Amino acid sequence: MLSEYLPIAVLATLAVLFGVASLGVSALLRPNRPTRAKLAPYECGIEPARLPAGERFPVKFYVVAMLFIIFDIETIFLFPWAVGFRQLGLFGLAEMAVFIALVFVAYVYVWKSGGLDWREPAPRRAAAAPPTALEPEAREVVRAG
Amino acid sequence: MLAQFLIHPPIQLGPIGPELVLTGTAIVVLLGAAFNPRIGHSTLLLVSLLGLAGAALVSIGLWDWGGELTVLAGMVATDRFAVVARLILLGIAAMGLVYGYHYFRRSGEARAEFYPLVLFATAGMTLIAAAADLILVFLALEILSLSLYVLTGISARLSSVEGSMKYFLLGAFSSAFFLYGVAMAYGATGSTRLSAIAHALAGQTGSLGLALAAVAFLGIGFGFKVAAVPFHMWTPDVYQGAPTPVTAFMAAGTKVAAFAALIRVLETSFQPLTLDWTPLVWTIAAVTVVAGSLIAIAQTDIKRMLAYSSIAHAGFVLIALTAAGQDGISAALFYLLAYALMVLGAFGVVMLVSARGEGRTSLASYAGLYRRSRLLAGLLTLFLLSLAGIPPTAGFIAKVNVFRAAVAAGHWPLVLVGVLASVVAAFFYIRVMVLMYMQEPQDDAEPDRSPWPRVAVAVPAVLTLLFGVFPGIVLGVLDKAAILRW
Repeated sequence: MLSEYLPIAVLATLAVLFGVASLGVSALLRPNRPTRAKLAPYECGIEPARLPAGERFPVKFYVVAMLFIIFDIETIFLFPWAVGFRQLGLFGLAEMAVFIALVFVAYVYVWKSGGLDWREPAPRRAAAAPPTALEPEAREVVRAG
Repeated sequence: MLAQFLIHPPIQLGPIGPELVLTGTAIVVLLGAAFNPRIGHSTLLLVSLLGLAGAALVSIGLWDWGGELTVLAGMVATDRFAVVARLILLGIAAMGLVYGYHYFRRSGEARAEFYPLVLFATAGMTLIAAAADLILVFLALEILSLSLYVLTGISARLSSVEGSMKYFLLGAFSSAFFLYGVAMAYGATGSTRLSAIAHALAGQTGSLGLALAAVAFLGIGFGFKVAAVPFHMWTPDVYQGAPTPVTAFMAAGTKVAAFAALIRVLETSFQPLTLDWTPLVWTIAAVTVVAGSLIAIAQTDIKRMLAYSSIAHAGFVLIALTAAGQDGISAALFYLLAYALMVLGAFGVVMLVSARGEGRTSLASYAGLYRRSRLLAGLLTLFLLSLAGIPPTAGFIAKVNVFRAAVAAGHWPLVLVGVLASVVAAFFYIRVMVLMYMQEPQDDAEPDRSPWPRVAVAVPAVLTLLFGVFPGIVLGVLDKAAILRW
């Protein structure tokens, strides 16, 4: 039973060997002339900026990341459907339409409640429901949005 | 062959009709509130309650289901057990929605998301009660858990957010255990379908060790959800931190749903291993009733006290599970029904005594409640008597049934432990009554005097008395529902 895993072990060994070998060979052969730009970390071509310590990101990045995952997962389901499109036929098309519509609900909800609005948000919720006289214990309110 | 199956899949959506209605309603409410932020919350409440009523009607329609035992590729069971568990859960959700509507309006934290989140959680709970495949059990468990994590933290209070975080971390941890158990069950039997697991286990003994490990890991996962000792640590913090209506919904709903799934998993897929898992359930039940009752004595906050009491009650349901078969399942179902009623009622009274938001949940603020409001003191007394298992309440009949089933199965030492734990538990329930009736109020804080929430709290009170005096009206139905078909 373990022999079934042999190709995986071989592949893993080869991958490690290839990585170590290419790094080692290039360290031996390459000319060593570092510049500032060469040593900078690569960030998709954007000039990297070091953030001051204690810098905070807007929590909105989090919402965008969540939305990204939703669409990411949608794509995972779309690929096998595209591959089996002919066999799945009309039934598959209808199923996918229902699935995409349901995913779209999440998108519409985020959009309508201002999750994609990048400007400083108008505190709509807070205006709709002003915190009335709370108990002393309840006054330790954290800003969560 | 495969292509043919893909083109004409035999899809019967009827048995998941209640869940379809619930999620449909939740989406309508969610988008309705998103498109019209000024929509009245009474409208959202009404639509949500209509959705629950629709789901209940669809569930009742499934009582006389004549089709296959499981549908959707063996994923969903169609038995009456699922119908009854669903109806109990839908009732709990309705109470939770009504409480929440009132509570959040008074505390000024009203959020439209409360209603769809409760509906989504309910859909997960009802689905788990009907799940006939471990993968679907896991999926439904996540649907209900994720909604509840958010609901716990829906208030901006620090303790609410803290409770939500704790619940999330420990819940994710327990989900991992559960999933590992599913993987082991698959490894031992080659299937995640409950019926296939049972057939595999009945026929072979080769991978018995793996199957037993699967039972243990699934047991840990369920143990977290039903808050059995030693997996109960999150319960008091979460029950105390969450807004009281969410606590009521979660305490009643999660327990009923998780126990429904646990009963189905133990009594169908691992039925061939009954002799192996019974000592396990026996031990956890004994530890849970004793620890829950003892630690509750030391509590000074009523929400924490009720949380430990709910842990002890999980132990009593586990006692019913040691009696495998129809008697045990029927006793467990009645216990869950009675528990749901009294815990909904007790937390409802706690919500009204707090008057606005949280606060005034210390036991000291119950001193002299009788002078402030005879109705609230009377209602809480009834629920506490029922929690303690004193006649003529549903809690008494529930305990008697559980003990009878366990004795019939030969577990009399466990019943002895249970009875002793009930005596200990009676102490801290009666202490609250003494506070309410025999002491003077310490301050002049007034409880919430709104009429409608009182009517809502009276509903579980009436049912607690009704099922306590005439248990026959539901016992017949529960007996019919206590046969798992698979």
